[in-house]
Amino acid sequence: MRTPRPRASAIDMKRMREWMGDFGSYRVAINEARIDRWLNQFAADDQDLAARLLDAVDFITYTQMVHAFRNILASLDGWHIDPASRIGKWRFAPFSGSSGESGDTMMWQFRHANNLTGKQYRDLFIYRRDLLGEDFGPNDTVVFVDDFSGTGTQACDAWKEQLEELLPNSPRTYLVLVVASTAARNRISDETGLTVVNNIDLTGRDNIFSAECAHFTEKEKATILEYCEKADKREPRGFGDCGYVVVFAHKCPNNSIPILHKRSRHWEGLFRRYD
Amino acid sequence: MAYKGQSPLVPETIGVKYVNPNDLTPNPHNPRILFDKAPLATLQESIKKVGILVPLTVYRESKTGRYVILDGQRRWTCAIALKMDRVPVNQVAEPTLVQNIVTMFQIHKLREDWELMPTALKLEVLMKKLNEKSEKKLAELTGLDQAVVVRCKKLLSYPKGYQDMMLDPDPEKRMKADFFIELYPVRNDRVVNKFSWFSKDKFTHRMLDKYHSRSSGFKSVTDFRIMKQHINNAHRAKKDRQISEKLREFLKDDSLTLDHLIIKSASVSAQAHKLLQGIKKLEEEIKHLDVNEYYGEEEMWIHLERLMKLIETKLRASGRRIKR
Repeated sequence: MRTPRPRASAIDMKRMREWMGDFGSYRVAINEARIDRWLNQFAADDQDLAARLLDAVDFITYTQMVHAFRNILASLDGWHIDPASRIGKWRFAPFSGSSGESGDTMMWQFRHANNLTGKQYRDLFIYRRDLLGEDFGPNDTVVFVDDFSGTGTQACDAWKEQLEELLPNSPRTYLVLVVASTAARNRISDETGLTVVNNIDLTGRDNIFSAECAHFTEKEKATILEYCEKADKREPRGFGDCGYVVVFAHKCPNNSIPILHKRSRHWEGLFRRYD
Repeated sequence: MAYKGQSPLVPETIGVKYVNPNDLTPNPHNPRILFDKAPLATLQESIKKVGILVPLTVYRESKTGRYVILDGQRRWTCAIALKMDRVPVNQVAEPTLVQNIVTMFQIHKLREDWELMPTALKLEVLMKKLNEKSEKKLAELTGLDQAVVVRCKKLLSYPKGYQDMMLDPDPEKRMKADFFIELYPVRNDRVVNKFSWFSKDKFTHRMLDKYHSRSSGFKSVTDFRIMKQHINNAHRAKKDRQISEKLREFLKDDSLTLDHLIIKSASVSAQAHKLLQGIKKLEEEIKHLDVNEYYGEEEMWIHLERLMKLIETKLRASGRRIKR
């Protein structure tokens, strides 16, 4: 979570331009009118708090994702762009989603980031349905690529329900993520055969409602929660009670607090998850 | 059973010994199921009293050195729960991929609540390695119902991107195999495939859109049967051009429902309604039939047997699963 401006800082054009600069690459245009509309959903007394919440948003740009993927692949033991120098067989697969979903978007970013877009690298990239047919052994490596894990629930369930069955001979399996919470990393490593490798770690301090988060007072946290309840009664702290303020350029994860992304009769999120 | 150039489909026996249950690993080819708690508790109680009488079947994985369970995962689960320090195992030679898949299929007969895509992928491995395509032979080999083999083959006929949708880690996004199985007859309909505008993948994509957004009045995947029926009726009435246009309009426009595909002069709905009334009446009469009273009515029983066979044939021909 980024450090917000001091309380009572002016919500002026300079600040507005900074937000637009920061969030400009989001999949849905974030312009002055939309930010204004979002701020105006808060009571006059709470607009300073809302502005500070926007300051705190961790916006992950495409450039950051590219850097993350480049650094991560370079750090994996046994990988080399030259097949002759690689240890065992390597394959990359989207962890989640299908055409147009975040898993696929991530795979595209991953290929570009690592200069693996050429025809000669096509065989490295497979579908999940190809996992069993590849007949991987313990010296081979499967790299699943995705953007985010907040709780680790999805990765753990997927492993138990399907992936383990499709990877019977225990190849090395990595789950490459741009952002992961420490809790998710620990849970995935405890419950599955996946090794999580990520670029940005989220800790308790990144949960806006946790006592460890020092950027907001307890009273401010309670006010934020009230708005979150208005936006989403069912999961006011975000999926898995994560309370994150993370937004990716291609999508806002549902683990982030609902006032950022939820669209309902009572609320219009700034970072809409769907068009 | 052995296939040309392949090892036998059952692994060779090595011998019985005792091992610590903590040294055993579940078989990764064992479909991911949760065993029913009640029968497991009964088994655990029995093991507590008399121990494990039938040794578990295991093999030693050469690459990792670990013992993997081929048969006896329930007994192993109980042994772990009872904190037993040793269990009897019958060690067999390490199976090949084909042997392992076949053994798992034969031990764990397919249950309805299993997701079909992983099963289909295993069947694909067997089909490739054994060069076997016959549904009957694959059914015999795996112990799967032939209808299940057919369903798996239908799933495998879809492009990989669609198959991946059935393997999505997110259960909310994961597409049910039933969607693709029910869509199959329309997607592969010979008449529809002749329409100049038709593309299998564009059609599938639009159907996915409509299904997800519940537009065009989509209620369930069985709605594809209605679509297929309208196409069949139109073709029988030589109205291919009209149904082509209507289907094209239906695809483009989310406000149109399946009724848009009805061509009045080709519709059989009136006959179907009449037939349904007759079936309901007969169903009611058979339900109340006193077996003892009609015990000697041989001709009636012969006709009932014929009717049963006829119904089964028609159900099979329509691709429906017959639940017993």
